[in-house]
Amino acid sequence: MLGGCLVRAPFVIPSFDIPSFLMAHVSDFLTPTDLQRISSLQVLARVVVEGFTTGLHRSPHKGYSVEFKQHRQYVAGDEIRHIDWRVFARSDRYYIREYEEETNLRSTIILDRSGSMNYAGSKSGGVTKYDYATRLAACLSYMMVHQADGVGLVTFDDKIRRYIPPRSKVSHLRLIIDELEKGKPGGETDLGDVFHDLVPKLHRRGLLIIISDCFGEVANFLKAMAHFRHARHEIVVFQIWDRDELEFPFRGWTQFDCLEQDGVKHLLDPAMLRQAYLENLANFRDELVKGCRKHHIDLVPFCTDEPYSKALAAYMTRRLGRA
Amino acid sequence: MNFLNAALLAGVAALSIPLIIHLFHKSRFKIVKWGAMHLLAAVLRTNQKRIKIEQWILLAIRCAIPAILALMMAKPVWQGAKQMLGEQPTSTAVLLDNSYSMEAERAGTKNFTIARDETERLVGGLKPGSEAYVFLMGEGRGLLDQSTRDLSSVTQALGKVGAGYGVARVPAALDFVAGTLDKMTGNARQVVLLTDFQRVSFPASDEKLLGQALERLKKLKFPPNVTLWDVGVESKENVAVESLDFSKLMVGVGQKVQIRANIRNYGDTARPDLRVTLKVDGFEKPGTAGSQLSLAARSSGQVLFTHVFDKPGSHVIEIETEADPVKADNLFLASIPVRDKLTVLLVDGAPGATPDDLKGETGFAQIALSPFASGKVEQADLIKASVVPAEGANAKNIAESNVVVLANVAKLNDEQIKALELFVKQGGGLLVFTGDRTDAAWWNGPFGKLAPLQIGGTGGDPNAKPGTAAAKVAAQRFGHPSLELFNDPRNGTLADAEVKAWHKFKAPERTGGPDDPAVLARLDSGDPFLVEKTYGEGRVIACSTTLDSDWNSLPARPSYLPLIQRLCVYLASNVYPPRNLQVGEQLVSFLPAATAGKKAVLTLPDTSTVEVPIVKKGERGVVEYPQTQRPGLYKLQVAGGELVHYVVNADRAESDLNKMTETEIKVLAKTHGLQVVRSAAEFKALDKVQRYGREIWKPFLLILLVLLFGELILQQMFARGRRKV
Repeated sequence: MLGGCLVRAPFVIPSFDIPSFLMAHVSDFLTPTDLQRISSLQVLARVVVEGFTTGLHRSPHKGYSVEFKQHRQYVAGDEIRHIDWRVFARSDRYYIREYEEETNLRSTIILDRSGSMNYAGSKSGGVTKYDYATRLAACLSYMMVHQADGVGLVTFDDKIRRYIPPRSKVSHLRLIIDELEKGKPGGETDLGDVFHDLVPKLHRRGLLIIISDCFGEVANFLKAMAHFRHARHEIVVFQIWDRDELEFPFRGWTQFDCLEQDGVKHLLDPAMLRQAYLENLANFRDELVKGCRKHHIDLVPFCTDEPYSKALAAYMTRRLGRA
Repeated sequence: MNFLNAALLAGVAALSIPLIIHLFHKSRFKIVKWGAMHLLAAVLRTNQKRIKIEQWILLAIRCAIPAILALMMAKPVWQGAKQMLGEQPTSTAVLLDNSYSMEAERAGTKNFTIARDETERLVGGLKPGSEAYVFLMGEGRGLLDQSTRDLSSVTQALGKVGAGYGVARVPAALDFVAGTLDKMTGNARQVVLLTDFQRVSFPASDEKLLGQALERLKKLKFPPNVTLWDVGVESKENVAVESLDFSKLMVGVGQKVQIRANIRNYGDTARPDLRVTLKVDGFEKPGTAGSQLSLAARSSGQVLFTHVFDKPGSHVIEIETEADPVKADNLFLASIPVRDKLTVLLVDGAPGATPDDLKGETGFAQIALSPFASGKVEQADLIKASVVPAEGANAKNIAESNVVVLANVAKLNDEQIKALELFVKQGGGLLVFTGDRTDAAWWNGPFGKLAPLQIGGTGGDPNAKPGTAAAKVAAQRFGHPSLELFNDPRNGTLADAEVKAWHKFKAPERTGGPDDPAVLARLDSGDPFLVEKTYGEGRVIACSTTLDSDWNSLPARPSYLPLIQRLCVYLASNVYPPRNLQVGEQLVSFLPAATAGKKAVLTLPDTSTVEVPIVKKGERGVVEYPQTQRPGLYKLQVAGGELVHYVVNADRAESDLNKMTETEIKVLAKTHGLQVVRSAAEFKALDKVQRYGREIWKPFLLILLVLLFGELILQQMFARGRRKV
């Protein structure tokens, strides 16, 4: 349980027409590069989520954190694993635990489509941060819709570009997927102002999943987060990095062209600056982590060379650990 | 600076490679569309200027590395302001010390042997076309007459050279060689001095001369490189016969001669039982041969020998000590001419009735000169005296005498004066006593050439009673050989004789030359008593009072006999040129005029012989031989004449083997800009440096390593040392 939000469990494999070959190849160890071959976001999301959930069922971790409703007496045919053994110890009688029907969760995916998200490093296999973010968004949307949770989408750069309110219909997923597919990153970033404008639009509390690199003034960003928290939203920030941004592995003279501002270029020898850049990076990340912790915000870093399902599992484990 | 592999200097152009690479990389940059510009820009803002400077520094170092590598591989040599010799032939002057100190040895090898062998190797190793000249410092002459390109002739001549000569004077040798070098043809020149660095060869007093000699070398058209080669292994132990003292007056047959040998121990070890021997004419005389002497370290002592010569002629005495490494100074020779009889002609100005009459002017003198004959004692008198009246003196009897004594002679005629002048000029001795018959006008006039001083008047009273005499001979210390005897009171004193009257000699007109008259003794009145003058080869001594007792009481004194004898012997001793010489002094011999035009045979110390011409000079034949550089015995023989011995002794300064310290040698070399070597290997290395310059690639290697490591370290430092954002 995360901040009062309920999470439906267990997952039910939706009854879609899943091609058999996909079922056979579903694996939560497919890398983003491998999945690049799947051009359709929807298909990709399905593959990832289903592969993820298939793995879940094989996992020894049973069930997710659910809301207990009541006990009922055991009848023949009930699954033995649902017996509440504590009650048996107390009463010498067999009772089955029944769970609360989940209430609908309203999630809004806030996707950064500024110019900086268009970066693809040397180890990402051509996958830009935006590609990764959209696939991640698609996977999350797919998972939520098929749990009958509401999911919405906001895309932004220096202002809000598109707002799709949360819905739980399956057809709503199409809308989201289409927006994810056609969106093109570009423009500058101004997280603070954008989020400030977004607060009034999200008048019902819910889960905000921010998928961004969070590049910009940390203070402004945290200020905006504080606004969301004030409105009682739960926030998870999926910070998308490229490996090159984390390691700065460049050699030889390089001209760095800014993805967000035309004409901003710097020709330099990266070896002369690497150490200072990494120190600056560490300071930035540290500041962000501290700020998010202060506001009870989950900050989950993702690197574009990591599989989506691994990222999803890492996230879900964190959520269940606190339930 | 020069380079041995100059072609590799082209590699300096490789300094452009890092620059080209830098520009190439900078031009072929990658373009990265970058998202995290805010992180990068922040770093650039705070470090941009510094980054530029650091990049320039690294670029400069990277350009310097190949340049320094190229310079190093081109083998730089430092030559200073000098022009290098390279492979060209050289004109080499070698100063070889063959003074007798070079005979010092250690472990059986003499310093001179080492020096000579190294000289042979040095000359033999000169480049083809080189010319060489070797100067023998102990002898003061060149090995060959002039420099030569026939190096084999030099090495052959070197094989015959030995040590044992006189003192090596470095400034004089350098001066001589400067003149020789100036005539040499090559423009690549060097001077090498091989010596044992004895202090005596480099005395402080010669410092200025040394500087001047070296300055002269520097001012030559092609100044030479000067190298000092230390071949000396210090040998501290040495005993030398420093000198012999014996009577400088004529020695007669049967006369006892005292010979005092001065021995010095220059070493640090005492010599308690040092044996000293005397040889006469090559033979040890029984009973007079050996004498023991005890010498402490660094001290001197004396040994006294006496000998009686039984034959007239030229004799040689040798004093020898026990052998030590430096043999040349263990022996001291002296040539002593021994006379049979000394003939003295007494010219009596107022003779007595008979020749033995003491009333004559010469009676007392006759007895004093031949005491044994006068006393009819069977013993030989050295002096044979004959008496003639004033008019009896003639050219014949004058010429046949060794000494002529004029006693109170009033006048002599012109022929007699002429004969006397010739006699004295040719080395004869004239002793003149005044008296009441002395004619001052004649003395100052016709006799003036021979008279030491003019007569100015008389003093005292010839009729004074005993005890009231006006003057006495002043008590004084005598420096004249004829009067030295009277410095010892045991030999009597002249001061106890009374002088009643005397002639006053006028003060002399001094020219400052050696012929100026000298006052040998004075009366206590201040007037001269005995005066001497040189005339030609001979001498004249004049006494201001009488030879007899008319004007003084000298004949009655014990001092009278030795005085008269010594005066006569002294005057007779001047007949011969010195037979005991120092190295380099000219050997001179007087021979009868009849021998002029012939040749005399001179036997040298190494037993070789040379023929020397006899030249007519005046009324005699003269032999002159200047090349007495080698110490030892020289024998001169004229056909039909007697053998005459001449001895050349070396200055004993070389006997002190005390060597300059290493520090002193270094200071000497540094002061005058000279190089010092101690072995053939060192000389070879120095020669290489002088020919090609000093290789200095090692400093360049060090610089290269510093740059290489520096570049690595700086790169790391610059990368880490960024200012934080």
